[in-house]
Amino acid sequence: MTIVIFGGAGDLAHRKLLPALYNLHVDGLLPPRIAIVGVGRKPTTDDEYRAFAKDGVEKFSRRPIDAQAWEAFAAGLFFGAADLDSEAGLAPLGARLDIVEHERGLNGDRIYYLAIPPTLFAPTVKQLARSRFVPPAEGTRARVIVEKPIGRDLESARAINDAIAEVFAEHQIYRIDHYLGKETVQNILVMRFANSIFEPLFNQKYVDHVQITVAEEEGVGTRAGYYDQAGALRDMVQNHLLQLLAMVAMEPPHSLDADVIRDERLELLRSLRRFEGDAVDDNVVRAQYTGGFIAGKPVPGYREEKGVKPTSQTETYVALRLCIDNWRWAGVPFFLRTGKRLPKRASEISVHLKDVPPILFNADPSARLDPSILSIRIQPDEGFSLGINSKVPGPHVQVYPVKMDFHYGSTFGGTSPEAYERLLLDVIAGDATLFMRRDAVEAAWQWVMPILERWQERGDAGLATYPAGEWGPAAGEQLIQSTGRRWLAP
Amino acid sequence: MAGAVADRAWRNSSPEAIEVDLATLWREAGQSDVAIARAVMSNLIVVLAPRGDRRALTDIAADLPLDAVVSRHPSRTIVLEHCHRDTPSAPFAAGVGILTFGPPTARYGVEQIVVRSACPEASLLSILRRVVRGDVPTSVWWTEDLSEGAPFDPLLTIGRQLLYDSRQWKDVGRGLAAVVPLVDDGRIDVADLNWRRLAPMRRALVHLRGPLTAAAWRGATVAIGHASGEIAIALLLAGWLRGERRTDPIRVDVESLPERDTETVLRITLGDVIATQTARGVEVTPASTPAFVVAAPKESDADAIAAELRALSPDRALLSALRALRN
Repeated sequence: MTIVIFGGAGDLAHRKLLPALYNLHVDGLLPPRIAIVGVGRKPTTDDEYRAFAKDGVEKFSRRPIDAQAWEAFAAGLFFGAADLDSEAGLAPLGARLDIVEHERGLNGDRIYYLAIPPTLFAPTVKQLARSRFVPPAEGTRARVIVEKPIGRDLESARAINDAIAEVFAEHQIYRIDHYLGKETVQNILVMRFANSIFEPLFNQKYVDHVQITVAEEEGVGTRAGYYDQAGALRDMVQNHLLQLLAMVAMEPPHSLDADVIRDERLELLRSLRRFEGDAVDDNVVRAQYTGGFIAGKPVPGYREEKGVKPTSQTETYVALRLCIDNWRWAGVPFFLRTGKRLPKRASEISVHLKDVPPILFNADPSARLDPSILSIRIQPDEGFSLGINSKVPGPHVQVYPVKMDFHYGSTFGGTSPEAYERLLLDVIAGDATLFMRRDAVEAAWQWVMPILERWQERGDAGLATYPAGEWGPAAGEQLIQSTGRRWLAP
Repeated sequence: MAGAVADRAWRNSSPEAIEVDLATLWREAGQSDVAIARAVMSNLIVVLAPRGDRRALTDIAADLPLDAVVSRHPSRTIVLEHCHRDTPSAPFAAGVGILTFGPPTARYGVEQIVVRSACPEASLLSILRRVVRGDVPTSVWWTEDLSEGAPFDPLLTIGRQLLYDSRQWKDVGRGLAAVVPLVDDGRIDVADLNWRRLAPMRRALVHLRGPLTAAAWRGATVAIGHASGEIAIALLLAGWLRGERRTDPIRVDVESLPERDTETVLRITLGDVIATQTARGVEVTPASTPAFVVAAPKESDADAIAAELRALSPDRALLSALRALRN
């Protein structure tokens, strides 16, 4: 097995992929015979690449580097230069891969990881085909991993998918949404379908509403060039948030087969009510951060960030009120929000159950009981908790909201594998359950497009602002408060 | 659910790294032989004024019965030593810890976060928002004298309950001036430990004449005598008596007692009845019927604080008393 990382000298490889591969190696989960080949434009020696990888592992690995383990891992690391712009640009890489595979006794199975900008996806796979890097599909000896974003709208997503489909069959294509690789996201399925307490409650009869918050504390950082063209809707909602929504709201699959689960996620996406025209304004809030404080320190506004246009209309925050038009969720609002420069990094799903009737302990209208809430904490502080009301010990009847709390850290100890570890392992094993199928990617874009078109139409009208360090703009609060509910801060 | 601290883990941290460092402590705890359940009933923000001796972060709340409080009411405790500045003028300091309680078969752990800050309010809010959990109520325990400084706005934004002790007030007028606007504003519930001490007296008076709205109280005049340093509790009682009858209010006079009686906290004269409150309870001596006693529950400071923290519903009688004292 050879893993070929296009963009092998880039940020993603440095921070995520190489540390993930190292940890898989330490855990003994990589195939015994393997080569990892980073690919980039700039000529780099194998030793230089190993030093680059070691730096990434030292800085970003979930566990400290072990000298002996590193030695063995580094022996399988190589670098190959390639020029994707020229017709014969992959030829030297092909020769290099042949030599590496021959020397290490590898069988020619390859995984091509496209850790490159989406504009390069199509040209790269075309080059792979032209240079005969991809054997016929029947052999299934080549797989390709594609990082989000897959396109910037439905049309470009289809174009990318078409270009990849010309070279790879769908079962060879692994579209990564790293959120699906997180332990807690995988645990949503286990929690829902391995416990008889929860699933009977997951429907319009018992659930008042559902909230999904994916909050980032960071600003635009070094991604201004990309982010200013994308914005929060494309960067977060179209993929991560809709995938989380699908996991929490999908129907029970009849098996754990990858396509059965992916069919159910797709069905959920297709059940989302589409917004058109004014309905977008009523149900979607977009905003951009201004200067404020994060962790006590002053930070600049989005338009003052390096690489961002001073007149940028790009949204850094989106809040949405969604409806799922199926039997299970009819009438249950789903509130989603995501943003940069929010008070803390946190991803959480909360399922708010309906209030008990306003009698007995809930009879006082000015002191209503807290609702029961199932909180699924995806990151950090992974785990879930169920809020229930309990009597305070003592002679009086006094009710207090308490928690039944499951916390990964204190329950299992150790560190959970990073999402990329699980996802890379699944690609090696050929399990596509946690990857997005073409139809799901396009269904998500189809749902998002009317919102993008409406925003395009309105320009900066309707673009609110919020100070960095706040939980979003007043309009975001109003979106949920107008229904008599309020956001639950993670 | 109360007991001595079984173990204490600690790490120096920074506002940015608090959650990461806490997660590390929990992972370490998760690898021990004894299973530790994380217990979080609420966020408890404990506000302290900076001291001249600038203690180590681990000792910053050494004068408070904090361990005993959180063993009774397990909370993510955020000890905040804050000094207002117009610009961040000193580096923030922070530390995190896990306190464990209980026997090995039922051990639970409580998170403790300590933050020392000197910054504008918006800056402080950005720190607090990072560390409070949204899925549990947030209580603010103001350990200082409210008459010397009102709670800063970020606490009112983030908290659901403000706990204080009006017995600490050096200037009762200024203390009331700090609290009454909070009652009017309604953003945060208030809980006063001193008000809790008044419970036996209130029960005794209701036992004597019925609820304050009852006809037996019509035209009543009450004289409240209070010991030195107990004017706040006397005024709370006066506010309660005045606040419950909108029309035909009870007439209340408040005066200080002679210094010689060292045990008495309050002495009420109502017609021919005298009710005397001490630390043990309230003794009521009517002229025409047998005397009776309403005992004060035996509870430590930590018991009282934990009990107030568990009471999240608004205390209407306290709110009514404070409103009556507005003028």
